[in-house]
Amino acid sequence: MQKLAIVALNSLLAAGLYATMSYGLAVIYGVMRIINLAHAGLMMLAAYATWALNDRFGLDPFLSMLVVAPAFFLLGMALYATVIRWLPRSSAGPSMQSLLLLFGVWLVLQNLAYAIWGGDTQSILTPYTMESVQIFGGRFGIPQILVFVVSILSLVGLNLVLRRTFLGKAIRAVTQNRDAAMLSGVNAGQIAAVAFGIGTAFAAMAGSMLSTLYAFTPDFGRSFLLKAFCIIVLGGMESFTGVAVGALVLAFIENFASAYTSIPVSYQDAISFTLLVVVLVAAPGGLPGLWRLLDRRVVAR
Amino acid sequence: MMALLRRHPALLPGLVFSAVLLLAPTFAERGTQNDLWNMAFFVVLAAAWNLLGGFAGQVSLGYSAFVGIGAYTTVLLAQAGWSPWLTLPVGAALAAAFSVVVGLPTFRLRGPYFTIATIGVGEAVRVIASGLDFTGGSSGLRMPAGTFDFTANYYAMVGLALGTLALVAWLQQNAFGLALEAIRQDIDGAEALGVNSTWVKLEAHAISSALVAVAGGLFATNFQYISPGSVFDFRLSLTIVLMPIVGGMGTLAGPVVGAMLFSYLQIKLLASPTLRDSYLFIYGGLLIVVMLFEPRGIMGLWERLWSRLPRRRTPAIAEARGAG
Repeated sequence: MQKLAIVALNSLLAAGLYATMSYGLAVIYGVMRIINLAHAGLMMLAAYATWALNDRFGLDPFLSMLVVAPAFFLLGMALYATVIRWLPRSSAGPSMQSLLLLFGVWLVLQNLAYAIWGGDTQSILTPYTMESVQIFGGRFGIPQILVFVVSILSLVGLNLVLRRTFLGKAIRAVTQNRDAAMLSGVNAGQIAAVAFGIGTAFAAMAGSMLSTLYAFTPDFGRSFLLKAFCIIVLGGMESFTGVAVGALVLAFIENFASAYTSIPVSYQDAISFTLLVVVLVAAPGGLPGLWRLLDRRVVAR
Repeated sequence: MMALLRRHPALLPGLVFSAVLLLAPTFAERGTQNDLWNMAFFVVLAAAWNLLGGFAGQVSLGYSAFVGIGAYTTVLLAQAGWSPWLTLPVGAALAAAFSVVVGLPTFRLRGPYFTIATIGVGEAVRVIASGLDFTGGSSGLRMPAGTFDFTANYYAMVGLALGTLALVAWLQQNAFGLALEAIRQDIDGAEALGVNSTWVKLEAHAISSALVAVAGGLFATNFQYISPGSVFDFRLSLTIVLMPIVGGMGTLAGPVVGAMLFSYLQIKLLASPTLRDSYLFIYGGLLIVVMLFEPRGIMGLWERLWSRLPRRRTPAIAEARGAG
């Protein structure tokens, strides 16, 4: 029983971080119907930016998010203005062209990191990195808990923006129906630029937080990108509550699989990759789709 | 002769290309031969990938799995006393079988979803291969002594490259090639016209993965040492995908042009210490430029320039040829 509580709490803590890194992907997908493969590169770059601020100025990684996130918001807008907006718009689903273009952006970002910081493994050490508290007899690292708290705060903030402000309503409107939103006077191009900025800022926050938990190299981020993608597919691609549920589901499956089965920890990533393929194939509508699937068999598309 | 060349404009460069590759050991230095071996390796990977990724438009980012299966089959069987040559068909068969296992579920997905799923499959294979005992873990495996023969390996790789191109050229003109093309253009339309898209995709996947696995086996014999980091690496999948994309997807010559460009880049990049780490920048930059300006790659650019040239043909025919 005690073990169950510890594993569940661990899953919950992981889910917060997972949700943060998935929201960026989901916002961009919702507004532009593109899968932002550069998300991984942006998380990696933010991890390095956090590390550089910490190394150079001794800035706390969590405080540095106040600098890093706005900077990446601008970076995302710039990326949109220079590269993304020239993509031909596809009405139906995401196009192969956009996927590969963003893949190219990812590679360039990766190279940027190699050029600036080299290929050595880096990590951030703060006075509280090794500290932990005891809950239910299990030890939980302070960074892990801080990451969870910041994740929840950022998600509440995003939710407030999306529900209360005109900008947020416009973003949701474009997500639901781009043409109808434009007919109602929403400047979809501008919204797309802002959404790309928000998505990038969330990638940056996730990256900063990841840098307090893991060591990283310029190659960092691929497995987290796949996890984030798995989560938004689980969540039904467009639903914002779906993302939170998807993050919880993935975190619980991962933690319970390594706690209660004999699958070694090194295979933990393989679990989420396999889950990704299984979900894409068996339930392309994610969890919301599964509900509908109970009524009638939906033909996979 | 002239009439034949006019009807098949690819014949002359193809013959020159084959002759240079086949005759290289008689006049070229060992270093040049190594570079040509590497190019032939890339040609096999790019042309085989193009069968599924280019013609059928199913962009897979998990092809290093098949290189790895071929390479590991060769090393493991050679360690058990097999001749390295005999291991190649086994590796091909295993890769084809695995391609069906992977393809059956993932071919239900379309476009970018398929691509993302293949990243997942490739990563899962790499993670699992790094953890298993018989793959030597992350420290890798060595070929048994006495299996190294560069000249034989060179001819085998060149033969495989030319054979792959001939096979692709033949398939392209076949009903099979038309079916792949139909799937790329409009999968629902193709289904409606009686193409069993899943089956056709599975076939293309199996053929291309078998070819890639044979190349992987030859890779293992040539380098004598493999590890999950070398043959299951994501960067290898990446290179396999970029060559046909930059060269021109869905064309016969595109992957060859891409393979030539990338093997040249690799030689240049490895030679200069300042550029060694910037290959991602060049690859990524190429990918961005190609996707923004000419999604059909160098071959598309070539066609565009070619159609600008004044010619004797009537415009209508030229137009139809350019589109086709």
